[in-house]
Amino acid sequence: MSSYSVVDLLTLIELTTCVVALVVMFYRRQIGQFKPLALFLLVRISSIAICFPLMSMGGKQISSVLAYKIYFYVYWGSYALEAILGFWIIYVIYNLAMAPLKGLQRLGMLMFRWAAGIAVAIAVTMAFGPHVTYSKFIMRAVTQLQQTQSVLTLCMLLFVCLAIRPMGLSYRSKIFGVSLGLGVAAATDLVMAAWITHFRTIYSLSSIISGSAICLTLVIWTGYFAVPEPRRRMIILPTTSPFLRWNQISLALGDEPGFVALGEITPDMFAPAEVEVMRRASMKMNYPVAN
Amino acid sequence: MKLIVRIFALSLVVTGAVASAHIANASQPMAGAKVSALPIPSCPPDGSTSCGIGSQNSSN
Repeated sequence: MSSYSVVDLLTLIELTTCVVALVVMFYRRQIGQFKPLALFLLVRISSIAICFPLMSMGGKQISSVLAYKIYFYVYWGSYALEAILGFWIIYVIYNLAMAPLKGLQRLGMLMFRWAAGIAVAIAVTMAFGPHVTYSKFIMRAVTQLQQTQSVLTLCMLLFVCLAIRPMGLSYRSKIFGVSLGLGVAAATDLVMAAWITHFRTIYSLSSIISGSAICLTLVIWTGYFAVPEPRRRMIILPTTSPFLRWNQISLALGDEPGFVALGEITPDMFAPAEVEVMRRASMKMNYPVAN
Repeated sequence: MKLIVRIFALSLVVTGAVASAHIANASQPMAGAKVSALPIPSCPPDGSTSCGIGSQNSSN
């Protein structure tokens, strides 16, 4: 079996698993909760549906140069979209995992939005450089964006792994399943970028490794969405828990503030009615009412 | 089972950390690729080459 056939077979398996995962999500009514994941799968299905026929049509029905041009833009365009959707998936996972602690959830989401914004800005800035062509710029910017998203994904996987019990979740939860699947894809992405750097031809060993990894990711997602998850446990925290304390502090952040008057206060700063209320209050304090 | 899942998840994190450290220490920027079976288009699209896209058709 040649490498072409293996790549074609893996592409077909990937397409089929994507469709199956999306159908299972729809059947289990999980699309609303995991909207970015459904969009991710849709983008993946669309890009394969366009790119796969191009590979077989190139040099036959259409010229191979034109086929490659379309293929290039669809591949890198969908890659950029998937990287952005990856950020959104992480955001949703964090949101769902931290749902019982509203204060920490709000604070974490605020921090995540800033981190993601800075990451996108850095990715675009780092893609610039001397003698960088238009195509190289696209490849570098998208790669940088995806690598940042992969690092964030692995941080999220570590967080979910460590906080799974305090958050009332289990290893059969969909939140963990989605993080795990995304973690497989993120680790593969980083390994590919670190060690498999030179692709002499369009058909290479990296396609086979990547194809196998994404099929594993899709199987994990399908499995977790197909099997009903256990109910989330009630979270019981001690009153001295730092989680609880920080949650209360975070809840108070952003509230309408109260005001405290400092310095010398003279009676003419108050309205006559306010002065009268204070006079009566002080009279009651001097002459307490006897029972 | 829980232990296996936990070890697997942590091994992914460690692998990713080692790989990202390797990327950070690289002398030149690394080219990434989508985690997909689709072949990686690394040649410029405005060139005269098709980067081998029709090669499987001509070899058959």
